[in-house]
Amino acid sequence: MSRTQRILIVDDASLVRLYYRNILAPRFEIEEALNGLEALEKLHSQPVDLLIVDINMPKMDGLSFLKTLRALPADIASIPALVISTEAAPADLAAARQAGANFHLRKPVQPETLLRYVTMLCAATPAGSTP
Amino acid sequence: MPLVKKTLADPKPPAPTGLPALTAALQSAKPEERWEAARQLAAFPESLPALAALLESEPDARVREAALTSLAKSNSLAGFDIILRYLCADDAALRTAALDALKLMPEPVAARLDALLADPDTDIRVLACDLARVAPPAISQKSLAAILQTEPEVNVCAAAVDLLAEIGTREILPSLAACAQRVFDPFLQFSIEMATAQIKARSAPPPA
Amino acid sequence: MTTELVTAEQFRQLCDYLYRETGIMFSEQKRYFVERRIAERMAATQTQNFAAYFAHLHDPAQAELAPFINAFTVNETYFYREDYQLRCLTRDLLKSCTAGKPPGGAIRIWSLPCATGEEPYSLAMWLLENWPQVDDYEIEIIGSDIDTTVLQAASAAIYGKRALMRLSDDLIAKYFEPLEGERWRIIEDLRGSVQFAPVNAMEPAEIRKFGRFDVIFCRNMLIYFDDSSRRVAAENLFEALLPGGYLCLGHAESMSRISGLFEICRFDDAIVYRRPPARRPRFEKKP
Repeated sequence: MSRTQRILIVDDASLVRLYYRNILAPRFEIEEALNGLEALEKLHSQPVDLLIVDINMPKMDGLSFLKTLRALPADIASIPALVISTEAAPADLAAARQAGANFHLRKPVQPETLLRYVTMLCAATPAGSTP
Repeated sequence: MPLVKKTLADPKPPAPTGLPALTAALQSAKPEERWEAARQLAAFPESLPALAALLESEPDARVREAALTSLAKSNSLAGFDIILRYLCADDAALRTAALDALKLMPEPVAARLDALLADPDTDIRVLACDLARVAPPAISQKSLAAILQTEPEVNVCAAAVDLLAEIGTREILPSLAACAQRVFDPFLQFSIEMATAQIKARSAPPPA
Repeated sequence: MTTELVTAEQFRQLCDYLYRETGIMFSEQKRYFVERRIAERMAATQTQNFAAYFAHLHDPAQAELAPFINAFTVNETYFYREDYQLRCLTRDLLKSCTAGKPPGGAIRIWSLPCATGEEPYSLAMWLLENWPQVDDYEIEIIGSDIDTTVLQAASAAIYGKRALMRLSDDLIAKYFEPLEGERWRIIEDLRGSVQFAPVNAMEPAEIRKFGRFDVIFCRNMLIYFDDSSRRVAAENLFEALLPGGYLCLGHAESMSRISGLFEICRFDDAIVYRRPPARRPRFEKKP
């Protein structure tokens, strides 16, 4: 039996992290980070199957985080990333894609929407395939 | 013993220290020199315009950071307003750097908070709610109460609620309830519910 | 029987706040410890209840965060404390520090704040005992603190039993000489090999005097500074590192709350921060 998939939520708003956690925790293991730097620190401890990433965060924003992530060794660099931010202008979406986001959703996110995208992105990387 | 003890000496030539020399060093082709100058200019309140000019065109993130630190240390409205320009930069990293620097200036934040919360740009209003974190809680709560009453954008309301969950007192509870009645969004409803519970929990008496 | 000072939810909110500000995570297991500290601080700030203290913590004018954190730190120091970082030093960090250095080259290590010297002497002992290449390089270890009285004590290098509690009898026999009254003194050779010098980590001019280092151990110092001072101190530490040099913080500390200047390096034993190595130009620019 494959392990439960793990999602790392990267957002500096504690209520946002709690909201996502409540929606996802029944089916996924959840870990949290407050900004891009903390996310980088947490990434090596246990395998992560999906990243949910805000853009505006202190010290290291989500796009800088993704750029740094994509330059790391392949096992970490290939983790899919769902960017969920207040930004939605075409330039912002393009920037997110260029930074390495797999998908972008605009805040605020409906629970069903979040679950649908997370499930889809996690299905693309079945548990056990990321070391 | 392979361990050695050596006399400590300053291996580098002394860096320029006067305002004119430092301002000139801001133009150096070497990032190291610009960085050092930007850091030392924190001691000169008159250097704000030079630091502002540097920020306009500086490509090196570390030098920008040093300039922002020096501007922030001025703790002045002038310094605040210079940094503020970058809050709506296209570059997310620059916005972050600006916001981090603004958060080092509690008094200017308190002075400018209401104006920022009324800015026509939604993104600025969202960031202003985060900025309110460093103002005295009583001031932030009062300013955010206005947001809860009239703000049309969900994300701004949510940002206000996120801070109030931490600093809000029982006085703000009616405004939170009113906002929940006014804006129908699952995330906001959830946030207001959580914030309300957290505010109430803070004033619960200790267990018997 | 002690009564609980705060409710479970209040405890959670306090831990959340601490996590946000410092990256430190306190678990339910530390409940009693945290509650005692809250009680201390509530008395010190004359706040009557949790809500009032929590508001006090959030008010920048009160500057309560630093004393709050101070209350939480166990200031005890001893030899081979947090030895996982010492292991990381010899196992991983020194490899890249020595790459490209000729035999006999300098390795410079800074311990600050060094307090009464346990850390720099531990570094020296550890290297002598655990680094096969220790004789191949000139190793300079410097201990610094803002407090000159502790530096005097560090130079004197006399310690009680508790400071030696992590050391084997062999190590004690090798590097210490016993004194009267259950005290031990570091042997002269080792005492003479570690340098102590004062520094104010907030002052770039003072830091600059020390030159640049391969590794800096800066454990449990930044955590006491306010946001503005932490930033300045982080920049100073960055400047004091050679390109590619490493910075080790205390195990509960994180750069993620302080500065994005440093690269994050994850090793088996520790998370360590690094000044980015100098980029080698692919093509040399013709003069």
